[in-house]
Amino acid sequence: MTYEDRLEAFNARIEAGDKIEAEDWMPDDYRAGVLKFIEMHANSEIMGAIPERECLPSAPSLQRKMSLCAKIQDEVGHSQLLYRVAEDLGKSREAMYEDLVNGRSKFHNVFHYPTRHWGDAALIGWLIDGAALVTQASLLDSSYAPYTRVLKRICAEEQLHLRHGEYITLELALGTEHQRWMFQDALNRWWLAIIHFFGPRSNPDKDLLLRWKVKTRTNEQQREEFLDRYVPKVLELGFTFPDPVPYYDDTTGHWAVREEDIDWAPLEAIKRNEGPETARRLEWRRRIYEDHRWVRETLAEAALHAA
Amino acid sequence: MEIYEVFRRAGHKDPFEHVGAVTAPDPELALLMAKECFFRRAEGEHLWVVRRRDIHSLKDESLLRLPEGKEYRFPHAYRDVITLRKRARERSATPVEAS
Amino acid sequence: MSAALAPVVLALADDELVLGHRHSEWTGFGPHIEEDIAFSSIAQDEIGHATAYYRLVAAHTGDDPDRLALGRAPSEYRHAIVCERPNGDWAYTLTRHWLYDHADSLRLASLAESKHADLAALAAKMRREERYHLLHADAWLERIARGPVEARRRIIDALTIAFDEALGLFEPLPEEGDALAEGILPEPSETLRARFMDEMSARLERLELPRSVQGRAAETAEFIASSSGDLIAGDEAGDGVDRPGAALGGRRGRHGPDFDSLWEVMTATYRADPGASW
Repeated sequence: MTYEDRLEAFNARIEAGDKIEAEDWMPDDYRAGVLKFIEMHANSEIMGAIPERECLPSAPSLQRKMSLCAKIQDEVGHSQLLYRVAEDLGKSREAMYEDLVNGRSKFHNVFHYPTRHWGDAALIGWLIDGAALVTQASLLDSSYAPYTRVLKRICAEEQLHLRHGEYITLELALGTEHQRWMFQDALNRWWLAIIHFFGPRSNPDKDLLLRWKVKTRTNEQQREEFLDRYVPKVLELGFTFPDPVPYYDDTTGHWAVREEDIDWAPLEAIKRNEGPETARRLEWRRRIYEDHRWVRETLAEAALHAA
Repeated sequence: MEIYEVFRRAGHKDPFEHVGAVTAPDPELALLMAKECFFRRAEGEHLWVVRRRDIHSLKDESLLRLPEGKEYRFPHAYRDVITLRKRARERSATPVEAS
Repeated sequence: MSAALAPVVLALADDELVLGHRHSEWTGFGPHIEEDIAFSSIAQDEIGHATAYYRLVAAHTGDDPDRLALGRAPSEYRHAIVCERPNGDWAYTLTRHWLYDHADSLRLASLAESKHADLAALAAKMRREERYHLLHADAWLERIARGPVEARRRIIDALTIAFDEALGLFEPLPEEGDALAEGILPEPSETLRARFMDEMSARLERLELPRSVQGRAAETAEFIASSSGDLIAGDEAGDGVDRPGAALGGRRGRHGPDFDSLWEVMTATYRADPGASW
């Protein structure tokens, strides 16, 4: 069977809604594309731990200190699951980690921004996890089966995070003037990044991952779902949106932001790994990685003893 | 380092179920790590870890597909039981005669 | 109600909170992803234990657990100084975790015999949860002790510092006399300290690690009062080796600059809005 025959059979499987396993034959572009996509997802989970980790030491109560720690722990757990799935596509976790800390691979835009106070913990936990959940839920029907299996668990935990984030937000919304300011201030700083989160308009003709049904929904479909779901909830609490201010479109019956109100420049910078916190956070992670080579060597030696 | 596949059983009434994998040097650390990666919310009461290379799978999974004509192995092959029962009941008016 | 109960339990709570805080600084940065996850659980357990202790105090004094945890001045905290030390590298963190949890295990075994029923019950419950911490710490220590040269060197260096510091966990509280008289504390700190030294000597031997890491602490029998009234480890003249010495004073509310910065961060949100509920 020639490569081309196999490719045709593979495309037919995808077309028929069949799911692909790690051991199955797959075209090189599919393997590379899925690997890159899951690797970026894994990177984002572990880099996503950092902004919240910055809020953790100043958590305002014992319960919040534990619950936020548990929440970040889950995110690290997601990276563990995802790196494992990515590894089976043919790249070691160590290689992925080294590419990450040396700036050779990417992670989601929202994790390149600084945190200032507890309002950020609320906002990240509610709206950024909410945005992530829209994206992740849309991948539950992805054509790459091992990915969907871990996503099932990830989405279940994200549901909990969402509840946790909303809870913290409501504590602020119901609290003192200072607490209410905390959430509003965080919203002002993060809103544009959340809009960027879903990416610019998809081009289905050029997007191989859409064609191979690794992704099942376009960026703008996801953004719309997010806005419909969260804009009314935020407004209900008496908070206001900065630019790009969302509006209700009577003709479509959906919430939207005007394309011309979105400044894409910050996202472009982040794509080059030049976000406000990119260098500092990567450097921090790289240093810990380098300084703990001996831990990896210890584990490797323990593996030899066990063998 | 080894990949250890992780299996968990919710309780005695359920079978072990594969839930993921950890990278660990030896079974003891694999168990400790698996506990943290897969049992943070009391998801189970029993835990196994198995080195991935000790797991064997069929090379040709098409062997698992059922040959034609095996309907008799399934309950739906016997769904007529209701009509049959009804007919048998009607027939029961006639006593069984010795032959 | 006994006046000695609150100081005794607060010291326990502060140990757990401050160490749990330090442990949680590894969350998201662990040296191995699965281990990062494991260590976050240990951090949460310690903070959870602190919460239980603060609640016990609050139930007796009518105070609020969060205020006790985050609303006191630095000099009101009674934790041992070893708990506030910065994490340093994984070797120091792990060593401190190993020493602390073994010390805590002895302490809990003793407290389970307390005449104060609530405290005894709490200690018994925590002992069960601590089993996992010991398993975790021992598993790592074993592998490092049998590990590559650099790993062994790092763990020995860390032990040399942390062992002396860990003895601060057995520094008696000013209220210890009353607490003993009332049976809140079943045994004096000195007894626990001696038990800890014996137990750890045996463990070091099994791990084939030099007992010299126990340092000056191994040679001295007890804490003695200095002319200033502070408790210091005996043999202050020392052996000429540059050691930081047992980190004492914590039980009397004397902390180092490490705690000043930790406290600033840990209590920042709470202090910014004292009327708020979170």
